[in-house]
Amino acid sequence: MTALELSADRVSVGQVFLRTCAAEWTRLWTVKATWWFLAAAAAIMIGFGAIAGFEAGGDPTPGASAWEAAHFTGFPAQFAFLALVLTAVTSDYATGGIIPTLQWTPRRTVLFFARTVVTVGTATLAGVLLAVGSALAAFTAAGQALELPLGDGVDTLATVAFVFGAGTGLAAGLGFVLRNTAGGLVAVFLLILLLPLILPQFGYDWLTTVADLLPGSRSIFLLTGEPNDRGFTTMSSVITMLTWAVTLLLTGWLRLKRDDANH
Amino acid sequence: MIQVRGLTKRYGEVLAVDELSFEVEAGKVTGFLGPNGAGKSTTMRMMLGLDRPSAGEVLVNGRPFAAYSEPLREVGALLDPGSVHPGRTGRSHLRVAAQTIGLPMSRVEEVIEQVGIEGAARRRIKGYSLGMRQRLGIAAALLGDPRVLLFDEPINGLDLDGVRWIRELLRGLADEGRTVLVSSHLMSEMQQTADRLVVIGRGRLIANATTEEILRGLGRRLVRVRSPQSGKLLERLAERGIVVERLADHELQVENLAAGELGEFAYQQGIPLHHLADAEQSLEQAFIELTDDSVEYHGRHAEAARKTTEVAP
Repeated sequence: MTALELSADRVSVGQVFLRTCAAEWTRLWTVKATWWFLAAAAAIMIGFGAIAGFEAGGDPTPGASAWEAAHFTGFPAQFAFLALVLTAVTSDYATGGIIPTLQWTPRRTVLFFARTVVTVGTATLAGVLLAVGSALAAFTAAGQALELPLGDGVDTLATVAFVFGAGTGLAAGLGFVLRNTAGGLVAVFLLILLLPLILPQFGYDWLTTVADLLPGSRSIFLLTGEPNDRGFTTMSSVITMLTWAVTLLLTGWLRLKRDDANH
Repeated sequence: MIQVRGLTKRYGEVLAVDELSFEVEAGKVTGFLGPNGAGKSTTMRMMLGLDRPSAGEVLVNGRPFAAYSEPLREVGALLDPGSVHPGRTGRSHLRVAAQTIGLPMSRVEEVIEQVGIEGAARRRIKGYSLGMRQRLGIAAALLGDPRVLLFDEPINGLDLDGVRWIRELLRGLADEGRTVLVSSHLMSEMQQTADRLVVIGRGRLIANATTEEILRGLGRRLVRVRSPQSGKLLERLAERGIVVERLADHELQVENLAAGELGEFAYQQGIPLHHLADAEQSLEQAFIELTDDSVEYHGRHAEAARKTTEVAP
């Protein structure tokens, strides 16, 4: 082995990945947008959780669980996380920062996985922590009117982790594919919110079927249990969301891997 | 060393870089010159793996750039100083770079001091002038103490002190044995800084020679002469098949003849001379002549092409 090869190969791929993750972590937390999106998600989940708790305290239902607050506040709060991840992926293209990024990490697959793991992982973990905060806020505000059963808590946190993880994975994939923040945000809102709500309103079966296949319909079902008349199951919803996330991430990886840096 | 081999880049119908081959040697400052749209930036982007070549390859110290696990230790580059997240501070920007190769924060502080942006490092980049962004980009390029450095128009936006600083920096880096490639549209700047020049036009290699060779018009000698009998002198020279160009009423430019030879010839012909000097072409003149057929957007070339710089024989 020549000296040149030694110089080139002295660091393992695993080390390169960990260093790239550290760089991505710094990238994520050294821009204000990340903090604003987190603050918005915290305000929604904890604030609305407390409000739900007050209401429950005024009109107690025997056996009601404070974890329900995390389910219902998680739906609007997920948009803050979707925007956080999308912005983290696309801001490099908007600012031209992808030029130094790819100079420093020319192994694009490494960059793809590091950026995806750090942004999606952060959003998912923060979502889970805020889900705990939302339930605690509701429980505290309700006085003795709500319960906080451990079993419900595990189910709730697993559901929130999956919905936030798959949803932000989808957003990251869209970001890598579109390379455009505005376009990505529009696409995310259409897929997660608008089309699942609007398409069934037209009254055509085929449009309802299309809506059923959208990730937003399934995230609503997993978080709220609605709609309960279209034959959705937890398994079919998990598969639908994973299919969307994996397909978009794969497409995004191919675009990053094959295309010019920012053309 | 950088080896460019048959490098080609096609954007649809447009051929941006056309089978370009050259080498950039270590220990020298190599200028990369070409008119706008010649393909300089595209070539540099392909060197760094940012754009995928349609054909050919670039090897940096024997390997493709993307093959290096610690690329910042091998190649430092400044392409576009505006290509940074404006919301991040200068120090954070460099910290991200340092983390990709496991460098400590102390190294970040060293390069901040080296490029002279200590006062601005904690501010967000959106408040930086173009010159400060250039310095930040140069700091990132120097961070890993690399053996190869690429700079795309590093002088842009710098004040006179900054220009002097970058000249010394480039010279110092090359003297340490590093490979330094600098693109610039400032031909006069390259004349002062570069040891070698790679000139391209319409994506093709036009010249690859030392700065001195290009300044000599790639071998063509020119002599300027003033005489009250310039018409007679022109006639006599033309009779002998010597190429002569009239520059002014009494001033001629003679090709491929030494000043001494021309002086003796005029003496033999009984033609008085008031001025006789070897005319050294400026790099700008050489550049314009070299790239004249390769310019994408023509301006006032005819006028500029007549300018030459005289030096004492």
